[in-house]
Amino acid sequence: MTVNYKSVFDIIGPIMIGPSSSHTAGACAIGRAANSIFKDKPTDIVIHYYESFAQTHKGHGTDYAIISGILGFDPDDSRVPYAIGLAQKQGINITFIEEPEDSPINHPNTAIIDLKNDSKQITVAGCSIGGGTIEIREIKMDGFDIKPKGPLPILLVQGGEDDHQNVTDQLANLTKVNDQQQYQSGKGNLYEYDLDRRLKAHEIDELVKNNNKLVYL
Amino acid sequence: MYMSVAELVDAAKTTKKPIYELMIEQEMETSQSSREDIIKTMGRNLDVMEAAVKKGAEGDGVFSTTGLTGGEAVKLRDYRATGKTLSGDIMMQAVQNAISTNEVNASMGVVCATPTAGSTGTLPGVIFTLRDRLNLTREQMIQFLFTAGAFGMVIANNAGIAGATGGCQAEVGSASAMGAAAAVEIAGGTPDQCSEALAMAISNLMGLVCDPVAGLVELPCVKRNAIGVGNAMIAADMALAGLTNKIPADEVIAAMDKVGKGLPKALRETGLGGLAATPTGIRMKEKIFGKSRAKA
Repeated sequence: MTVNYKSVFDIIGPIMIGPSSSHTAGACAIGRAANSIFKDKPTDIVIHYYESFAQTHKGHGTDYAIISGILGFDPDDSRVPYAIGLAQKQGINITFIEEPEDSPINHPNTAIIDLKNDSKQITVAGCSIGGGTIEIREIKMDGFDIKPKGPLPILLVQGGEDDHQNVTDQLANLTKVNDQQQYQSGKGNLYEYDLDRRLKAHEIDELVKNNNKLVYL
Repeated sequence: MYMSVAELVDAAKTTKKPIYELMIEQEMETSQSSREDIIKTMGRNLDVMEAAVKKGAEGDGVFSTTGLTGGEAVKLRDYRATGKTLSGDIMMQAVQNAISTNEVNASMGVVCATPTAGSTGTLPGVIFTLRDRLNLTREQMIQFLFTAGAFGMVIANNAGIAGATGGCQAEVGSASAMGAAAAVEIAGGTPDQCSEALAMAISNLMGLVCDPVAGLVELPCVKRNAIGVGNAMIAADMALAGLTNKIPADEVIAAMDKVGKGLPKALRETGLGGLAATPTGIRMKEKIFGKSRAKA
């Protein structure tokens, strides 16, 4: 059994702007994941919607929710409904595509986000599994094609064996690592850790201090 | 982590601790947070629920931008004031609280998703009615939410809570079951009775489809929360009276999962089947989004 809902506040919560936890709050969370990976301002955002997301994104406010996440807003931020205008004012080009085929990551609430600017480009495939909780099932970044199992939290660490060992040691004091994967590209190695619990802000800061390319989802 | 209703009920019986206490202890362990912080966070959720229950039933009420929903919690408020309700004031207060909360959600107001935004009115519908019925303290209301959350986690991790994967039974059905079980505990029932209330609540909404008109969380979602809250109160009362579901709660949850997976896509939050596919539902969709999109 996959444990996606690890906290009572996944069920009683989140506090959010309506109308849909999967299509609004969850979409915002997928956007936030892309924001955490990109770590920069994009010039172009392309969102591909599949299945239920493709059919109902307009009515649910999925468009502004996902953009608000890419801008780094929380789901209860009062700016959420205005996110598209705010992004366009910053000169960001936004495209939404309703894809006719089934979700390539096998979930009816799927959004695939492409972000790019002059220096980089990423793709994040996420699905919203209900109640605002999401899974991230594919990430393309820096030449890596990462395919996590899905449930968060996920930690991505780029670097060599030293970095791997350091992060492994640090995590040993914090939480259980449910799964670990190693990926290779022309740019070196990337290590994926699926963590048993969400880390606190100060714990993440501590990890980032030693490795500024670290991504926590 | 408690993975089944049976585990949760057994732990409550062995330790002689209430289910909310087991939930708080589990949360402290998994989140590495203090009891105070966890209780404070739940208190904030309760405050958001209370504000939404109030907001939708004040003045002329709230309305969604599409005009499909809104202003009906106020009608219930005024109807209740006549003292002539058929199902009694307690039941209609619960219904008003639920509808008020979902009208706030549809109008893009702030809600606490429990477990989802589409089913956000069911749990507040139960809790703010029981507050008045049983004179609950704030502390007890927070305890109610932890108990509801404990059962909700078991449902979510075994069957899921998204309309797109499991239909409305997974949303309003789950919320109703959480409310029923937590109502039993707060009213002094046993852990076994909580489990029976949950099992009866889900059994009664088994197969409920997710068929939102125009894909919006409005029709029939707002009023589905009325049946969610009514069903929760009825299931809780049946369990407290000693009725049993005969099929155990964990098997009912597994059955709900299977039923959800068997539902055609048109009935899983695509806005393509059920009420969404009625002539009136299609006309509403065309009016809101225009004709070309309506074929999508």
